[in-house]
Amino acid sequence: MLLQICRSEEIQDSGWKVFTINSIDFLIGRRNGKLFACNNSCPHRGASLSKGHFNGDNIVCHMHGYEYDVFSGKLMNMKSWKKDSTWVEQSPEWRKSGDLVKYPIFERDGLVYVTLP
Amino acid sequence: MTDSDYAKTTKPVPNIVALEVLQKNGVNIDRLKELITKGVGAEFTTYYYYTILRMHCTGLEGEGIKEIVEDARIEDRNHFEAMVPRLYELGGALPRDIRKFADQAGCPDAFLPQNWEDINSILKVLLEAEQCAIRSWGEVCDLTAGKDPRTYDIAQRIMQEEVEHEAWFIELLSKRPSGHFRRKFAGQSPHTGSQGSLIHL
Repeated sequence: MLLQICRSEEIQDSGWKVFTINSIDFLIGRRNGKLFACNNSCPHRGASLSKGHFNGDNIVCHMHGYEYDVFSGKLMNMKSWKKDSTWVEQSPEWRKSGDLVKYPIFERDGLVYVTLP
Repeated sequence: MTDSDYAKTTKPVPNIVALEVLQKNGVNIDRLKELITKGVGAEFTTYYYYTILRMHCTGLEGEGIKEIVEDARIEDRNHFEAMVPRLYELGGALPRDIRKFADQAGCPDAFLPQNWEDINSILKVLLEAEQCAIRSWGEVCDLTAGKDPRTYDIAQRIMQEEVEHEAWFIELLSKRPSGHFRRKFAGQSPHTGSQGSLIHL
């Protein structure tokens, strides 16, 4: 389903906005002039990615610091829990994460379009 | 079959108005159930790990914080008790397998650090766990504010106690001045406890 989401100027560079469609939150953002769209739910533990921040092209989840490339959607950095040399690392099962749920996005004539499922 | 499908009845279930209202309010019920399951998973595992941490609060310094750790430990268990009935009302269910339950928890395990004889190392683990819980229940509050008053009410009560726990551990680590005195009894849960009638104390 192709949807017109907003005007291009509403998505500033290095910023993002959350749009709710059919009770699902979608994160629409722009980094270095390029648009991206993903589900706002972190694939690790479901936190709102909109509360995170950028690290390069990665979005950093505020909950556990996992980083995902906003363009490829891939998990780029799985944070360690060995914050202190004496801390014990978390179990591999708990640490596992999938990739971002991404959606095709483009802009035309000053409008942003996203293809949603 | 998903983790919660085992809990589905074979009998016909009538229209649930309490869920219908949430849908009309725009609540993403599936996401809400997921976040609650992860949140109560974190409370339950924290209760377990705090038991171990408390056992290692020894010596003069350890004895000084043992009662505070005990308050946080019992109150985290109370949070589990307070929210789980709501999960089932929403049509969710706890994972059948406790291993899966722990693996999907919203917060990392509060493992006993190797240098547990340094009481500050235990306090840092406790602080980290409380801070994660605040973020976790904050997500539930954000998802339900103005849309699902029942879940919001329980989540905000839990969050108030988690914020208090964070303050306790920050005060112990930093000596920051505090308004904290003590609970009336161990694990009183002034917000989710008897005052809220959410659990039986």
